[in-house]
Amino acid sequence: MSKGDDKRNDGQGLTRRQLLQVAGGAGLAALFSSDKASALQEFEIADVDPLKRYPYRGWEELYRRQFSWDKVGRSTHSVNCTGSCSWKVYVKNGVMLREEQAADYPPINAELPDYNPRGCQKGACYVEYVYGAQRVKYPLIRAGERGEGRWRKASWDEALAYVAERLVDNIYKHGPDTNTFFSVIPAMSPVSFCSGSRMAHLLGGVFCSFYDWYCDLPPGQPITWGVQTEACECADWFNSKFIVLWGSNISETRIPDAHFAWEARYHGARVACVSPDYNASAVHADQYLPIKPGTDAVLALATCRYLIEQGVYDAPYVKEQTDLPLLVREDNQRFLRMSDLGPKTKLTEATFLCWDASTEGPKPLPGSQGSVDKTLKLGSIEPVLTGRWTVRLADGKPVRVTTVFERLKKQLSVPLYSISGAARRCGLSEADVKQFVHDFATRKPAMIIHGAGTNHWYHNDLLNRAMILVVALTGNVGKNGGGFNHYVGQERIWPEHGFKALAFPRGGKKQRWQNTTMWTYCHSQMQDPHRINGKPIEHYILESVRQGWMPLWPENNWQALNAGQLHNLPRKPRALIVWRANYLNQAKGNEAILRSLWKQLDLIVDINYRMDTTALYSDVVLPAASYYEKTDINSTDCHSYIHPFSKVLDPLYESKTDWDVFGALAQKIEQVIKKRKLQPFEDKKLGWKRDLSRLYADWSDDGKLKTDEDAANFILSHSAETKGMTYQSLQDHPRRFVATDPKAWNSDIEVGRAYTPFTHQVEKKRPWRTLTGRQQFYVDHPWYVDFGETLPVHKDPQDDPQYPLYWNTPHGRWSIHSTWRDNRYLLRLQRGLPLAYISTADAKKYGVADNDWVKIHNGQGAAVCKVKIRPGEQPGRITMYHGWEKFLGFQKGGWQSLTYIKIKPTQLIGGYGHLSFRLNYWGPTGNNRDVKVTIEKYTGPVAALASSAKKKALK
Amino acid sequence: MSKHQYAMVMDLNKCLGCHTCTLACKKQWTDGDGMAYMYWNNVETRPGQGYPRNFDRMGGGFDVRGNLRPSKLPPLEDYGEALEYDYGQRLFGGSKKPVMPHVLADYGPNFDEDMGGDDTRNPYHFYLPRICNHCTHPACLEACPRKAIYKRAEDGIVLVDQERCRGYRHCIRACPYKKLYFNVVESMSQKCIFCYPRLEKGRPNACAAQCPGRLRFVGILDDQESPVHKLVVQHKVALGLLPQRGTGPNVYYVPPFLPPKAGHPRATVSQDPRLPVKVLERLFGPRVMDVVRSLEGELRRAQRGSRSEVLDLLIGRNDSVRYALRPDIMKRSASGK
Repeated sequence: MSKGDDKRNDGQGLTRRQLLQVAGGAGLAALFSSDKASALQEFEIADVDPLKRYPYRGWEELYRRQFSWDKVGRSTHSVNCTGSCSWKVYVKNGVMLREEQAADYPPINAELPDYNPRGCQKGACYVEYVYGAQRVKYPLIRAGERGEGRWRKASWDEALAYVAERLVDNIYKHGPDTNTFFSVIPAMSPVSFCSGSRMAHLLGGVFCSFYDWYCDLPPGQPITWGVQTEACECADWFNSKFIVLWGSNISETRIPDAHFAWEARYHGARVACVSPDYNASAVHADQYLPIKPGTDAVLALATCRYLIEQGVYDAPYVKEQTDLPLLVREDNQRFLRMSDLGPKTKLTEATFLCWDASTEGPKPLPGSQGSVDKTLKLGSIEPVLTGRWTVRLADGKPVRVTTVFERLKKQLSVPLYSISGAARRCGLSEADVKQFVHDFATRKPAMIIHGAGTNHWYHNDLLNRAMILVVALTGNVGKNGGGFNHYVGQERIWPEHGFKALAFPRGGKKQRWQNTTMWTYCHSQMQDPHRINGKPIEHYILESVRQGWMPLWPENNWQALNAGQLHNLPRKPRALIVWRANYLNQAKGNEAILRSLWKQLDLIVDINYRMDTTALYSDVVLPAASYYEKTDINSTDCHSYIHPFSKVLDPLYESKTDWDVFGALAQKIEQVIKKRKLQPFEDKKLGWKRDLSRLYADWSDDGKLKTDEDAANFILSHSAETKGMTYQSLQDHPRRFVATDPKAWNSDIEVGRAYTPFTHQVEKKRPWRTLTGRQQFYVDHPWYVDFGETLPVHKDPQDDPQYPLYWNTPHGRWSIHSTWRDNRYLLRLQRGLPLAYISTADAKKYGVADNDWVKIHNGQGAAVCKVKIRPGEQPGRITMYHGWEKFLGFQKGGWQSLTYIKIKPTQLIGGYGHLSFRLNYWGPTGNNRDVKVTIEKYTGPVAALASSAKKKALK
Repeated sequence: MSKHQYAMVMDLNKCLGCHTCTLACKKQWTDGDGMAYMYWNNVETRPGQGYPRNFDRMGGGFDVRGNLRPSKLPPLEDYGEALEYDYGQRLFGGSKKPVMPHVLADYGPNFDEDMGGDDTRNPYHFYLPRICNHCTHPACLEACPRKAIYKRAEDGIVLVDQERCRGYRHCIRACPYKKLYFNVVESMSQKCIFCYPRLEKGRPNACAAQCPGRLRFVGILDDQESPVHKLVVQHKVALGLLPQRGTGPNVYYVPPFLPPKAGHPRATVSQDPRLPVKVLERLFGPRVMDVVRSLEGELRRAQRGSRSEVLDLLIGRNDSVRYALRPDIMKRSASGK
């Protein structure tokens, strides 16, 4: 079972076995070293001058035959790369040979560069997974310890029964909230996502978040804008005149889109790259700022101070679109509300005031959550940005008030945010900082392209808010070519309405949601040693759960518990079902999870086409169809098109599409319920009487959603964005969305115009989706007041100072998370093993040489891997591009063996206008950038090389 | 001399270093027996050792008198073995041993990726994608004792006849770019074919068609409407690699210029370049700094708000700008032989 199928014909008359034979190496080396060529001539060709004419060209057919095929199918990849690239897969003799970008996205207009060809080197060798040795071909049930890799082959019937029995046991003996479901990023394949989310929904199971857990959510966006994430499509980069790559290494991690930035440069944009390491994006920048890790907010806030001091901010925009003119009470740092001045109602509590120059008094501003005027139009109001005044409260008490702008100015007046102060703190030269702020002040439109490089810090909310402030002060948000555009993960699904109706048919109120950061932290023996205002994070988590701000499943009696019991709760999760994700490999605090959570769970199921780390550590692995064997649809924030997955070939081996897997599981659960004669039960918490004896009928909507194509068509036909489209109609070429649902979006789709968010606010003057109805930089929730974070501010990383080096695990060019990390075509173009990058100075300091084995460790665990010395790496940190599978090449541990979960209390709040828990919108992020480690040369034993592969090759 | 000459221009200021070209080529042409280690298209970090290791310091090409100067034959270690892995034993076989490669790499086609120059204050590197240069005076052709290498009269593409080649490897020694590879199974030399089967069907070379950086321009050099003519002949912003080797390469590069050094945000490439001039001159010859200065001037103008004709071309908005393929010429000549 372990052996790959060697009989695959590669379509060039060569079998895979023959291919491997050559790769063995020994014979090849011998032949290479000999040089015994002699000029044997079989026949006379003295008359031929091959520079002019060549008589024997019939052989050229050889390569023409290689460029031929029987069939072409259109598909894509479901890997959360944010690419959403349409590919064509070429088939010959019943075998998928290769793929090539479809390269047929229609242009937006003649001036903008088009999106073709869209796709990267990884997409160009996905076929390797279809036939590769990692492929899961049959249902497998664990025969050894978890993670041992000993399996017995099972029938579908047996494997499904194994899973169904245990899920039903949990529901009836322990409660439906002990079954946990984890799958990520619906946009990359919503049909596959919904297959299991519907199951979770109908079983009353807990559905876990992903976007916050992976720290891809920029919390500053929900805080400031009241949205999950909104970014312009990448073609809009071309419209910019100043592009700042900030924590985003586009040449490596946005490969299909990077050209828009470099082409924008030829179109007159300047590009600045802010990054601790000199990387593939810095290479093409007009300015490279090698910033000290974790100091980005200083640079952003210094820019804000410069803009304000020089008076080059966009005052009319700031007055209309932001909360900077709002009044704040000096006595309690709370906004001045209408309820302070008159009767207290829900509406007056959410109505805010400015100082109006025309009436010389406080005036309520329209557009807030409490205002009846749902507009940003100021009318006759003339908000004042600076000043201090006294107003009389309802009880007659006078109170001093000032504006958010005034408070901001004051906060920015400390030396840290001067040009020289920022240069010092950020490790930059003053001249570079001056150029940077000057460009922001003078070039329009200007945008920040933001990524995980900065977003993965503990203080990501502050970093986001500081950067958004720069582009808001300059009036760049809501304009083509401008804004703060964050691209980390394909979290946003365009046809949202149809997707939601398919995913959770009875609606969000009938679903148990869970922020995965909290779930993982609380259900494993992991302890963040930091104290926040003197208290451990457990204190804040429990407070948040008790307040009903954040959910934590399974349910427990929170009032009776104390913070010390949070990691050993009376009711614990019992089952975890994972599909379309690699939960374990990508989980922060890997060692602690394996020691605790993984031991507590009594059922772990993974649905997968390849044996990844989570599959390897599961009890049951169900073989899924690969991306070229399924029907689904695909979209991304990065562009405004939708295109399909297709069954280029029917599911290979014994695999099934996710839709068919969950359909079969629903039928199996029904059987178990009927066999055991189990009665419907009342799920009181959700007010839902659950009759699982008709689970399949409910899951398939009485047979209306029998097939994955039915499901795809359901999404398309229930969404404004895809009105008039069918699954089949996507086969010709990617289709641009035709409209946006105004409930879900903040701009229209317009023919001939690149999508950029927030034109509804900036052009149509609709309020922002925040408490104040404005871009909200001031947050007066009591916890924000306590932590000193009412306004964006720089805070030092929440690190572990006993270790010397940051452990930097960014996205890289050679994988999408863990996918492709184990792909030999790509490993051959790296060094073949997990690799840590270290600066020249640190290599010297820690006594390691290039290509040495090293041990990297801290209090959490250790990883033994190879090291590479890179002059462009900054001293003081080690970089390992993330995603390496735990089973590949590490002599000990893995890249997540060194990390642990650090929850930031400001991200636990709720009940504050726009800030209340919403899956993947608002919840604590699983940051990991603040981790520190040390490194030493490793001289211990190294696992034997792949002799089996060599033998196989020589067979 | 061929009647026409296909050429390719690669704009190194757009290269992402992503190797999609490499994989496109690999999956299209070199996925067969004896080919795993060979990359007709590769991307290397410069300065760096290249692939095969130090090929650019080995020799090859012609001396000033026009005589071949063959180099040694690079040993396999200088290419690196194509790694194979034992996935099965760990994932399905119950072995506790991690998945490992069959050999610990100490060199490979991209071994020194992103290392570049060792100036830690102002690090520098850039990416150099390479294919066969389909030279006007191909040293490989001249070196082949069997005359199994020829230059197509209609389009200038240089090919190794896969029926007549006997694997003597004189071509490998003669090529200054080391862009011919020995297939030990077939006992033949093999090389980039400039994707003639694709071009004949009106589709750009795999490495160009699949390049997400959109940095490759393809056309006939003497076709005045083609982007390669405009960039090489008209605007003179693209240069051949190692021109002093005398082979007349037909792949041209728009040379790279990197951001100014830290603390000198307004410095021009002439004043104090991050990338040492000698690195560029060694690769692209003495004219390179003229080209870089001219491009920098164009860029500054564009950033001040004027439109630049050459940069507008390099934007390459869509396929019709980047490619001017002539399947008509190719088919006519091929059938007329």
